[in-house]
Amino acid sequence: MIEVKGLRRSIRNGARTTEILKGIEFAVPAGQFVAIMGSSGSGKSTLLGLLAGLDTPTAGDVIVDGVAISYLPEDQLAQVRGRKIGFVFQSYQLIPTLTALENVLLPHELNGGAGDGMERARDLLKNVGLDGRMDHYPVQLSGGEQQRVALARAFMLRPPIVLADEPTGNLDTTNGAHVLELLLHLNRVERTTLVLVTHDPVLATYADRRITLRDGVMLSDELNPAPASL
Amino acid sequence: MANNSASSLSWRLALKIAAREMRSSKGKFFFVVLSVAIGVAALTGVRGFSATFRSALLAQARSIMAADLSTRMFAQPTDKEQAGLDAIAREGVTITPVTELLSMASAAKTMEPLLVSLKAVDPRQYPFYGTIDLQPAGQLKDALTPQTVVVADDLLARLKLNVGDELKIGTQTFRIAAVVTNEPDRLSGSFASGPRVFLTQEGLKQSGLIGPGSHAGQRFLFKVPPPRQGAPLSEAWVAQLKAQLEDLLPEAQVSDYRETSPALSQGLDRATSVLSLMSLVALVLGAVGVAMAMRAHLQQRMDTIAIMKSLGAGSGAILRIYVLQTLLLGVLGGVIGVALGVAVQGVFPVFLERLLHVQTSFQFHLSAIAVGLGAGVLTTLLFTLPPLLDIRGIRPILILRRAVEDQEDASFGAGILRRLKKNRAQIAAAVLILVGLAVLATLLSDSLRVGQVFSLGLVVVLIVLMGASTLLLSLLRRLLERTRLSLPSSLRHGLANLYRPGNPTAPLLAALGLGVMQIMTVYLVQQAVVQELHVSTGPSLPNVFLVDMTDDEVGGVKKLLELQPQVKAEVELLPVISSRILSVDGMDAESLKLKNFPRRLLRSVSLTWRDTVPPGTTVTAGQWWKADETRPEVAVSERQAERLGVKLGSQIAFAAQDREFTATVTALTKSDGQHAFSRADFVFPHAALRGMPLVWYGGVHVDPAQVDKVQRVLYAAYPSVSTINVAQALEAVRLVVMQITYVIQFLAAFSIFAGAVILASSIAGTRYRRIREVVVLKTLGATRGRIATIFSIEFAVLGLVAGLVGAVFANAVTAAVLHQLTIEYRVEWLWAVVALAGSAALTVATGWLASFRVLGQKPLEVLREE
Repeated sequence: MIEVKGLRRSIRNGARTTEILKGIEFAVPAGQFVAIMGSSGSGKSTLLGLLAGLDTPTAGDVIVDGVAISYLPEDQLAQVRGRKIGFVFQSYQLIPTLTALENVLLPHELNGGAGDGMERARDLLKNVGLDGRMDHYPVQLSGGEQQRVALARAFMLRPPIVLADEPTGNLDTTNGAHVLELLLHLNRVERTTLVLVTHDPVLATYADRRITLRDGVMLSDELNPAPASL
Repeated sequence: MANNSASSLSWRLALKIAAREMRSSKGKFFFVVLSVAIGVAALTGVRGFSATFRSALLAQARSIMAADLSTRMFAQPTDKEQAGLDAIAREGVTITPVTELLSMASAAKTMEPLLVSLKAVDPRQYPFYGTIDLQPAGQLKDALTPQTVVVADDLLARLKLNVGDELKIGTQTFRIAAVVTNEPDRLSGSFASGPRVFLTQEGLKQSGLIGPGSHAGQRFLFKVPPPRQGAPLSEAWVAQLKAQLEDLLPEAQVSDYRETSPALSQGLDRATSVLSLMSLVALVLGAVGVAMAMRAHLQQRMDTIAIMKSLGAGSGAILRIYVLQTLLLGVLGGVIGVALGVAVQGVFPVFLERLLHVQTSFQFHLSAIAVGLGAGVLTTLLFTLPPLLDIRGIRPILILRRAVEDQEDASFGAGILRRLKKNRAQIAAAVLILVGLAVLATLLSDSLRVGQVFSLGLVVVLIVLMGASTLLLSLLRRLLERTRLSLPSSLRHGLANLYRPGNPTAPLLAALGLGVMQIMTVYLVQQAVVQELHVSTGPSLPNVFLVDMTDDEVGGVKKLLELQPQVKAEVELLPVISSRILSVDGMDAESLKLKNFPRRLLRSVSLTWRDTVPPGTTVTAGQWWKADETRPEVAVSERQAERLGVKLGSQIAFAAQDREFTATVTALTKSDGQHAFSRADFVFPHAALRGMPLVWYGGVHVDPAQVDKVQRVLYAAYPSVSTINVAQALEAVRLVVMQITYVIQFLAAFSIFAGAVILASSIAGTRYRRIREVVVLKTLGATRGRIATIFSIEFAVLGLVAGLVGAVFANAVTAAVLHQLTIEYRVEWLWAVVALAGSAALTVATGWLASFRVLGQKPLEVLREE
């Protein structure tokens, strides 16, 4: 369960202050798939970052499973992120010096998960269709493959929440569909809460709920009674 | 089309873009400017300072001879010789005569006689270097007149006289004007018995002691004119003058200041080569730093360059911007470096003066500044050529497909090979760097040979270091791949980071390794050289010599000295038998071809015996005899052998009193000039000289502050034994050694700093990538402590690899250098460990300094930039 209360974020650029988010308020029940939409500069990526505790709001709070995370000390925040939230970036953000397998294993190692995690990491890579690419470095993988490694990494600790920032934005149609399929499987089969930022209206039709931002305010918040299936 | 665009970008616009780009990334360029500044500062500072310092050191070496050159002969010069000397004087060389002889002197009151060692000088000229210290304090030229003498303290003690009393020498009575407490050229004069008495040349003439057949020794001291405006004294002139004098005075022994004390001149020569090479390496280290920083900078500007190219700008136009930027950086760094160098040059002598009481004057050389600035800008341009030329290879497609960049960087070594294959311009750039470096090194060292050896050597060393680093890295990588998943994850991640795309790990390690290697080589060589110099000026060496002991006295003197608490080491004793040389290899003494050896000296050579190689003497050819050798064999000092034309196996016929005997030369020797036995030119097995009449000479180390006490005790018991105190002269040698040590340590500090800056600038160059990594790791739940551990491991491994490569090559170079200097080499394991730990600590500290605020970045700020 994610609760967002009176969330504001402004940045100072010299003498000028720009308000990016101007008081956002909503709650996401567990297991919901939310698509956050909006044009470039509407504040959707900033919102997603604040949901993940990647940034500190100017005012307001984000509460994840009853814990207010926005003003936690840095290392505690890292622990919350590691345990509760998986994050998928538009440009994958794999560690270039680690192999695919090591990248997937990383959350386990950083957060001290049970066992050695190796089996789960291998299984995840198999599930995303990268059985034969486990020992490859990111630079040796295509964009679609890299994003699938990133997904496997996000799923590694079975986080209750997965946040994704334009996960298919850099991919062609086939690869995009593959990634979407994996995300939907996660949400519908494993009941993981999924918050996805996109400006692709087609992608949004798969979501349970659609929040649209414009200039830092919520323009609309609509439930989708019949989400599409692949 | 590209050409049209290139010409449309004016220099003015290029300058504007270059300056703006510099202003917008001040932090990054800080290190580049610092790199240049350190190189230039080292060069200006070291060049200016070492020139000043060298002249101060040489002045000290000269003071031991009191001149630049000296000739020693046993007759007054012939008319032809005098004409030659006059001609030399007309060239601007100052000449002053010094006449030395033994004579009886007596107290005018009591007529008590004493054998004294007279030294007649021209007090207006003598000494050219160093000072005569008098008690009461005063100038020699004021105290010494044709009617006065200045005398050694022990003369007053022996004749129970005071300053102001009269002393009769020959037919003349002189007033004692002062006591001489320090005589600079005491070590290089004749080693005669009897207390010293100084008088003027006129005084000597009036005494009537100089007549035909007199046994006076005649020395001439020479001083070449001082160079103009603080330029280093022309050693070439001294060498040329020496050759000229050897030609002019075939009977004379000619020596120059560098021979006064072998330990001192060797120390100076070694220090001089070390100093000049070190300042050159500091400069190149700086330039390597610039090149690496510029490479990292250009890599970050790749997008901008690709955008400009896609808008139609040609490579030439873009090159214009970055060449200007390089020039601006070079000039800025050069100016800061010159300021730093001048400051160092100004401050360090003050520090030295306070520490060592050596006066070195501060000289402000415009030429040194111009050289520093010029060399700084030139090396900066040269070394940035390869990265600048890379601009031509950047394709506009980069804006669309960033991954190209990562692939290009996968392996630096392979990258270079590929580039060399593809790009002739890079080969030309490499050749240009080599040639430019050679020209600079030649100009800076005033030696074409040094220039060639240095530039080639440096390039070879860099390539070898780079090869070694690449090899180590690939071994480590293979090891990592084998054991990867069984390693602790922080260690694995830290090690994997070494292979981060864009990490210039191999060249970085080569530069760092060069720094470590230089510092360690300097340290190891310095340790060995200083240790050797320490041995040769060490506390066990004799600083007081004893002359004319009889066989009956020698045992008692030895016992008495050993009882004195001020005597710090074993008493060295040297038996001396007066002899003459009759023939060499059957050729009569009169017809021998001698080389700068007064024929008269053949009639008064000193022989001694010793069954083992004496302290301070080394055998340079042949072999020393066994302890029970009875055949007449002789070891001859190398110098004497050359003058007499004697080789191993030569037969020399000697006569001592009424005995004649022939000995075979079985060894040639070289002495350090500082032991009692250093005075012995002909050493025999004991059995060969048994039963011949002899006197004893001795040497002993006395606490320098208490020499007079020992002299008094000795005089009370053995009034006929003379002592000669050289403690002060040796102290001067020790001081020079200390100074050299300090200067070398000071220069090593420059290299440490330059190495750290290169590392810092390289790490700062990958800052953006590091931030991205930190952010991703944080997003995945990594704590700061965890990230810090991963990076620390990466930095530490960099240091360890560089340290290992540096230490191995430092030991190799040290072994080679010490072999050349004929000093024993040993592996210093402790220092190897210290070098490894030190370089790891340095890289970790520098790494974190250069990663300033990387850890504190808020993840979102960075991800937004995607």
